[in-house]
Amino acid sequence: MSESLYTQLLDLACGVFLLAAVLVLWRRQLAAFIRVFAAQGIALAAIAALLALHEHRWDLLGVAVLIAALRAGLLPRLMRGALTAGGETHESEPLVNVTASLLTAAALTLLAYAVTRPLTELAPTPATRALPIGLAVVLIGFFTLATRRRALSQVVGFLLVDNGITAVAFLATSGVPLIVELGVSFDVLFAVLVLQVLTARMRAAFGGTDLDDLRELHD
Amino acid sequence: MNPVGTVAVVAQVVLACAGAPWLAGLMRQVRARLEGRVGAGPGQPWRDLRKLLHKQPVTATGTGPAFRAAPLVVVATAVVAAALVPLVSTRTPVSGDADLIVVVALLALGTVSLALAGLDTGTAFGGMGASREMTVAALVEPTLLMSVFALSIPADSTNLAAIVTGAVHDPARLATPTGLLAAVALVAVTLAETGRLPVDNPSTHLELTMIHEAMVLEYSGPDLALIELGAQLRLTVLLGLLASLFTPWGIATGTGAAALVLALVVVTVKVALLGALLAAAEVFLAKIRLFRVPELLAGSFLLALLAVAASYFLTGE
Amino acid sequence: MNAIAPALAAASGLAAAGSAAGLVSPERLRPALVGVCTAGVGAAGLAAGGAALGGQRWSASLPDLLPLAGVHLALDALSGLFTAVSGGVIVVAAVYGIGYSRQGPAGRGVQAVLPLFAWTLVMVPAGAAVSTFLLLWELMAASSLLLVVAEHRKRAAVREAGVWYAVMTHLGLVCLLIALVLFAARAGGETFPALRAASDTLSPAVRGTVFVLALAGFGSKADMVPLHAWLPRAYPEAPSHVSALMSAAMANLGAYGLIRTAFDLLGGGPRWWGLLAVALGAVTAVYGIVQAAVATDLKCLLAYSTSENLGLVLIGIGAALLFDAGGNCALAALALVAALLHVVNHAAFKALLFGAAGSVVRATGTRDLDALGGLRPRMPVTTALFAVGALGAIALPPGNGFISEWLLLQSLIHGLAAPGVATAVMLPVAIAAIALSAGLAAAAFVKALGVGFFARPRSAAAARAHESPPTMLAGAGLSAAACVALALVPGVLADGLGRAAAAAGLRGAGPTGGAGAAGGGPIGGGELRLRLTELSGRLAPLWIAAALVAAVAAVLLLVRALARGPRRTGAPLWACGAGAPTARMEYTATSFAEPLQRVFDDVLAPEQDVDVTPVRESAYLVERVRYQHRVPDRIEHRLYQPLLRLLARAGRAGRRLADGSVHRYLGYGFTTLVAVLLALVVTR
Repeated sequence: MSESLYTQLLDLACGVFLLAAVLVLWRRQLAAFIRVFAAQGIALAAIAALLALHEHRWDLLGVAVLIAALRAGLLPRLMRGALTAGGETHESEPLVNVTASLLTAAALTLLAYAVTRPLTELAPTPATRALPIGLAVVLIGFFTLATRRRALSQVVGFLLVDNGITAVAFLATSGVPLIVELGVSFDVLFAVLVLQVLTARMRAAFGGTDLDDLRELHD
Repeated sequence: MNPVGTVAVVAQVVLACAGAPWLAGLMRQVRARLEGRVGAGPGQPWRDLRKLLHKQPVTATGTGPAFRAAPLVVVATAVVAAALVPLVSTRTPVSGDADLIVVVALLALGTVSLALAGLDTGTAFGGMGASREMTVAALVEPTLLMSVFALSIPADSTNLAAIVTGAVHDPARLATPTGLLAAVALVAVTLAETGRLPVDNPSTHLELTMIHEAMVLEYSGPDLALIELGAQLRLTVLLGLLASLFTPWGIATGTGAAALVLALVVVTVKVALLGALLAAAEVFLAKIRLFRVPELLAGSFLLALLAVAASYFLTGE
Repeated sequence: MNAIAPALAAASGLAAAGSAAGLVSPERLRPALVGVCTAGVGAAGLAAGGAALGGQRWSASLPDLLPLAGVHLALDALSGLFTAVSGGVIVVAAVYGIGYSRQGPAGRGVQAVLPLFAWTLVMVPAGAAVSTFLLLWELMAASSLLLVVAEHRKRAAVREAGVWYAVMTHLGLVCLLIALVLFAARAGGETFPALRAASDTLSPAVRGTVFVLALAGFGSKADMVPLHAWLPRAYPEAPSHVSALMSAAMANLGAYGLIRTAFDLLGGGPRWWGLLAVALGAVTAVYGIVQAAVATDLKCLLAYSTSENLGLVLIGIGAALLFDAGGNCALAALALVAALLHVVNHAAFKALLFGAAGSVVRATGTRDLDALGGLRPRMPVTTALFAVGALGAIALPPGNGFISEWLLLQSLIHGLAAPGVATAVMLPVAIAAIALSAGLAAAAFVKALGVGFFARPRSAAAARAHESPPTMLAGAGLSAAACVALALVPGVLADGLGRAAAAAGLRGAGPTGGAGAAGGGPIGGGELRLRLTELSGRLAPLWIAAALVAAVAAVLLLVRALARGPRRTGAPLWACGAGAPTARMEYTATSFAEPLQRVFDDVLAPEQDVDVTPVRESAYLVERVRYQHRVPDRIEHRLYQPLLRLLARAGRAGRRLADGSVHRYLGYGFTTLVAVLLALVVTR
């Protein structure tokens, strides 16, 4: 694979990766969140695969397959199950409206760029130049966690943060060992399972998954 | 002054003017077929224009020069923009002055004159349309200039000919995140600027939803013909602009006459394809509420900003 | 031969003559005499400024004129530009004022102060020492204050506006005083050459302090957010020709002071100066125009639009500082030239717009757009003039505002060449701010023109409107001519602007230099085109305008040739089958701006109040609904009101100190004196 083709494909994968995070803020349908998240998983797997091909590290291909299976296959399936069980289809009015969320995402991306600039300058390769995208996804995920109400949106936000962290790890170190990725993946899987149980409990207790209802527990 | 370049300008203006109603007709036909209707055929807008031209011109009472001039200004700005955009050739006598910001601003001038005409009638419809149109136009502007910025970075100029020539010689820059994001943002802006779904529905006449049609409600006869032609021409110019910016292949960059003929055919095909694609996409879209439009525009602004950001952090300049 | 000195002398003489005429001449002749003299001051200023722009320089030192410091005056291309702009605006406002004052502010005091104010506007850029500059600055502030409160007997709001203006302008003066005096003290001299020479020896902390204070002081004059609180009050309440002078000439001097201090005296600074200025400029531009877009008071709209335009100028200045700090001198010069050209353009169209708005106020007695309308058939010339000004203000071709905004955008778009993360982050934000403000400006002025002048009158006052006297039209017409000239042949200013940027210390020819004496500026290209000399970019405003006219003519002829129908006829408006639509069915300025206001709900925080009174028998039958809606200035609400409350509380607390006993008051004085002496003893 030629250097310029590698750069271009990597950039495209990163672009899709970031776009998916933005779409989570943009869309209101919970089903769309899951589709977007699956697409992001594929983009992340593509990043890993591209790094594997470029660095000739074939264990990374295994990591890529693992990521694709988990983040584009298993997790979306779990979430879809939770969605059909819950019966809620739309994100209710978020705490920060969509327009402001999108503008905030713009500001967060610029912030991510400004923050990672010194890191990029240490070793400017196509992979490290894409670092801001990973960080931006982390920030956008965090923002989603802070402003969206539904439990499923929270799960997606959490997974965005995790995807972002994984992407940063890949791009900064040119790929993490398989064992580390395995550990992280199991962590994420468990977290999602726990959250799913929690969601089911919330629905049983409050009849919905609006996180603001949890305030009642305070009394 | 090269004669071929002059011919190119004249040819693209004539092509745009003559082709605009056909494009509108084609889009309606595609839509009709996809919705399971027979459709009136792509020549219908031309027949409409002819019919309107043969009617008696009517001026609404109490209106002034702003009302009378608006149809002329809308068409004139679109014609001048059509002359500036490098649809068939990048080496024309006007290509040095064909600045992307100027083209965008010229089209905005048409919008402003129509909004003034809407207010000039003093009816609730006119005011409503003008108000909504200006709201959308004002919010479109940041996305538009941000896309301009993103596109001008690789060429280091906002000159359209320079941008297109650069893209012809280095097509790889179109497939970067910058190019793709800017393309998506510009498409969203084009939809908003030309009053297509999901921002405005060109075939509705319900006061709750219409934007453009409310503004031009008082026009009839030849004036209405000009308004319709102006709207079609704007759509053609903007689609042509998209085609030139993101699929620059086939545009003549030299001074040969053969390349020019080829470019004319290619641009016709490209714009027709884009129009058909747009019409097909519209079948699946519903008009969004007016107050959801800012969301769409904020989203497209974000994409344009990301295009700019991607261009400097990914290329590492 | 140097034309500057005689021109400035003539300006001073004419100002004195005008003031004298205002004091002693009979009331019937007063406006004409004062107007002619003031126009003379303006013409002299224009001549002096033009000569300076043409490359002449002049400086004078009059050590005996004032005790202690003396008076130092100098005119280079930079100050010449601002003197010329002031001069031009003064000519317009003075001619306009002749007709305007006949039926309005013709009192002795007002007429005597007007030439003085005009003179200070011409002379402030010529001040070449801290004391001279500040003295002229304060004279300008005081005389403008007197003019703002000219109509205080007619309306109570004028008094409030006067108080706000007086306080804000003096807070600004305090900032300037501290900045420049600190600078002078550290530099060991107070003339501008001495400051210039010493600027490199100052510590960064001092330079930073001077810059920030100067930004605050000059910014408050240039309507910078959040120091703009006086502007939506003072501009609308002042007589219209005074509004024009303040908005189109005085506000510019804030920009002048900033350019002079930051570039010439301090010689540029670190990157954060530029970033601060760009950020404030962006906020000012967007906030100003959002307020203008929802304003329903015609002059208030224009006032907020001034804020927007000076915000754009501030973006240009900030960008120039930023590029200069990054070592890219050519780009810095381009940004500064764009800012300067925008100053000129804004002065031209804003003088015109305030003039036309003044005619409307004179003819109808109201500034409320919701009560206007239908002025086009009644005041055709004024409407046409306002339309020309509005075209300039909306920054679309073939208007003059478009050209300077194009230049500004060019400098920012090419600005990625400048290094630095902060620059890369700030530039897209600045471009977005400019774009948004341009879009909203279009909405605001479509509203002003379409609702205010077109359609049918919405009140009896508007229906009685009649055209203004010829002198008012002539004054506004002059600035309309300037707008058209600036829109079509801006290239003629290229050399002068290049010289002005060079006088500010930005050569524009890059580090290698080498540009000739004639084409040294960052833009060039004579009458027909505007060309960026260092970058690729070209604009042909004249050709675009010609092409538009030709296209309109062609379309018109073509339609005439093709149309087969009978002759044009009139028909009533469509009213859904009901009778003729009444004025109450028209869209008003409030309803026009409603969608925008909803979009910017989070920024504007409008106040709504619905008060439903049911009939006594049943809660379900409504007798009366009262709906109240107001868009307050949120910054004033959130920033100034708490501050004022705090001050009031402190004042009330302090009241306990004053219980009426004279002995106590003397005791305060005595204690303070002893404390000061003690402090002296201890610190020495």
